[in-house]
Amino acid sequence: MAKILLVSENDKKGKDIQEILQKYSHEFCYADNSTLAIDILNTQRPDIIILDTEIENFDLKIVNKKIKSFENIQTILLTKNDDAEPELLKNTNAFLQEPVSKNLLIATINANLKTKDSLDKLANSNHELARSLYQLNVLYSTSSQFAGTLDKEKLIDCLIEGIDKSLSFGLSCVLTFKDDAEPILIINSLYNISDRVLEALKLRAVLNYKSLFEKKAMPFELDIKNLKIEKHVKHAIKEYDFSVLRSDNMFAPIVLSDNFFGFVEIFRESEFTTEDATCFQTLAQQVSLPLKSASLYEEIKRNNKKLERLERLKSEFISIVSHELRTPLTAIKNALDIILSGKTGELTENMNKFINMAKRNVARLSGIINDLLDLSKIEAGKMDFKFEMIKIESVIDYVKTSLDEMAKEKNLILKTKIEDNFAPIYADSRRLEQVLTNLVSNAIKFTPEGGQIEIRTEVIDAKDINYVEMFDFEFRQLHGKYLLVCVKDNGIGISQENLAHVFDKFAQIENSLSRKVGGSGLGLPIARQLLEVHNGAIWCNSKPEKGSSFYFVLPLANEKNKFMLEFKQDLQKAKINNSSLAVIKIKSENEIIQSLINDEKLIKKSYLNNSIQENDKKDTALTMVIPDGDRFSADFLKKKLQSYTKDYKNLNPNCAIMYSYAVYPEDAIDEVELMKKVGESLQKIRE
Amino acid sequence: MKKILIVDDEQDIVESLKFVLEVAGFDCYCAYNGEEGLNMARKISPDLIILDVMMPKINGYKISRLLKYDNKYKNIPILMVTARSQQEDRLIGEETGVDEYITKPFELDEIVKKVEGYLKG
Repeated sequence: MAKILLVSENDKKGKDIQEILQKYSHEFCYADNSTLAIDILNTQRPDIIILDTEIENFDLKIVNKKIKSFENIQTILLTKNDDAEPELLKNTNAFLQEPVSKNLLIATINANLKTKDSLDKLANSNHELARSLYQLNVLYSTSSQFAGTLDKEKLIDCLIEGIDKSLSFGLSCVLTFKDDAEPILIINSLYNISDRVLEALKLRAVLNYKSLFEKKAMPFELDIKNLKIEKHVKHAIKEYDFSVLRSDNMFAPIVLSDNFFGFVEIFRESEFTTEDATCFQTLAQQVSLPLKSASLYEEIKRNNKKLERLERLKSEFISIVSHELRTPLTAIKNALDIILSGKTGELTENMNKFINMAKRNVARLSGIINDLLDLSKIEAGKMDFKFEMIKIESVIDYVKTSLDEMAKEKNLILKTKIEDNFAPIYADSRRLEQVLTNLVSNAIKFTPEGGQIEIRTEVIDAKDINYVEMFDFEFRQLHGKYLLVCVKDNGIGISQENLAHVFDKFAQIENSLSRKVGGSGLGLPIARQLLEVHNGAIWCNSKPEKGSSFYFVLPLANEKNKFMLEFKQDLQKAKINNSSLAVIKIKSENEIIQSLINDEKLIKKSYLNNSIQENDKKDTALTMVIPDGDRFSADFLKKKLQSYTKDYKNLNPNCAIMYSYAVYPEDAIDEVELMKKVGESLQKIRE
Repeated sequence: MKKILIVDDEQDIVESLKFVLEVAGFDCYCAYNGEEGLNMARKISPDLIILDVMMPKINGYKISRLLKYDNKYKNIPILMVTARSQQEDRLIGEETGVDEYITKPFELDEIVKKVEGYLKG
């Protein structure tokens, strides 16, 4: 059965053809002008059109043009003789010459119908193919979106968006659970939904949920009262009624083995195909793995927060306790001092001896408290450092003078050997005195009477340092030139198994000998932390009964080291204050960089407080650390430089400025990573 | 005889300071909280004040600020005693006009020397 349209001005021809066609039960219509023909084309969509070329009152080409705009309408030309307009012939599938033979007409119609049928099928499968391809594309882009986030809410949003794009639903309900197990039903709807439909959806969600766990324990509590609703409506002009619930629907739980995350249900007026179902199931499955990662990530974050809080509490606790201990300690010490001064009356030899014993232990106790305070301050990043250009000799002199007495009491020789006294370092001299005092006083404590202690310095390249495997972690970061300080004694030494732990907190408290000599057991851990802040390292070597050597290295002062140390301090402050920090790198010709630096309108003076310039023959790279800087300030500077480049172009057409930035905490959280990021991402600024 | 005012809520500390300073030949007055200290400072106009930071009611910084911004008392040297040693504490001390900073635990001899430095020099 086919629908056939004849366009002709000849009623007789029309009747003849109609008679023949109706015998074969084809549907027939007739148009004797172009307007009617186009109208029929638009409304009836005939399968075949027979065009009579014998037309006088209108132009067939208009009808022909219209035919071309439809897919797969077969055209048959009816002519008196064997010619027709080339324009018409181009679009013709068959050709009948008058007078028309009945059989030929039917055969032609049949042949054309077959062609049309095949073409229609082809078009259909093409259409389906395109649709599948589109769904595949959506699947692909949605799954890559899944991979890009660890945020539960975003993942659910991506899922809904993916399903909508690939299946264009009318209504979707997603049940999820927040971290505190609070159930939420997220409803996305094309049209508004009434409260009654909403109630029905809630009930349906609860029933659906319960049916999933018929005989098993439910992972979350869910009833209609505690179910929260999140509703998104696309077009509020229309409203769905209950009939929406009777439209075609699909349902899928979101699960990964034993982990249940919720479910998704969608409704659509047109029916879902098998392909649709596959696509839907795939999306629901694909979201489960990133959801699992997201909930694990959440858990890690929560635990980290807890740990950070504990760590802070510990530091605060130590600091408060230490302060509170100092006051009574001062009172004890004062009382003892008054008695010892003799102002309260003469003391017997024994009184003197025991009061001195008490005083010694008060001093020891206050030393321990000071160490505890120091360590808690360094660990919390709250210790202030005053970096300046210094020479190590002044530090060694100070330590030697203050400990000479102690060495003499034990009949020890304290020697110094300073090889290179011209190497300045960028350091906090008081902290270095603390480190060296600790090492030398340890040496004095652990060296028997008559022994010898030597403080030696040299300038050394990182690769020439005698590597001690046990302290592997200390050497990892070292490169370039260093100042090495060695404190060597010929005392009792340290056994191999204890050697590995000398820098651990409270390590030596295990050792009965150290108890005898006193000390908090925190001196070496503090020394290590202090050197770490200086970008240095500390390690030791020892043989029992032969003596120990403690070594530490500090980077020789140069612009880069100075910059990195200040950078580290700025970063530490940003971490404590929970603020941001930006590192900006600009690279261009020497001359351009100089003019940028001199132009206060472009680069604020404060930006240059901690900055470094690295020159090669032609170019200069300027790196600046901006405390409290963020993406916004970095982009703002970039814009200023952009307009600068524009102005400068007139004078120097080859002017080009490279620019990049990295921001704490978004891009990286330690100074080395930030420098790496900013170095890698240099890009030309376009005016 | 020069008058010294000692303000600290720790009686034992006050006691020991009073003892050594009296032996060194000074006239000592004692107060055990901030309010009392401030009142006494205004009443007796001492030649020097030894002041603790952490005290109930009015803390040491506040007393120091009140006295140092008052023309009548601004020339009285103030030695601040504290168990804290952080840099920022020192900064507050400087801002409030403290003349000297002494960290606990301190040496009594050191305090006597410092006091003598202010009152004899």
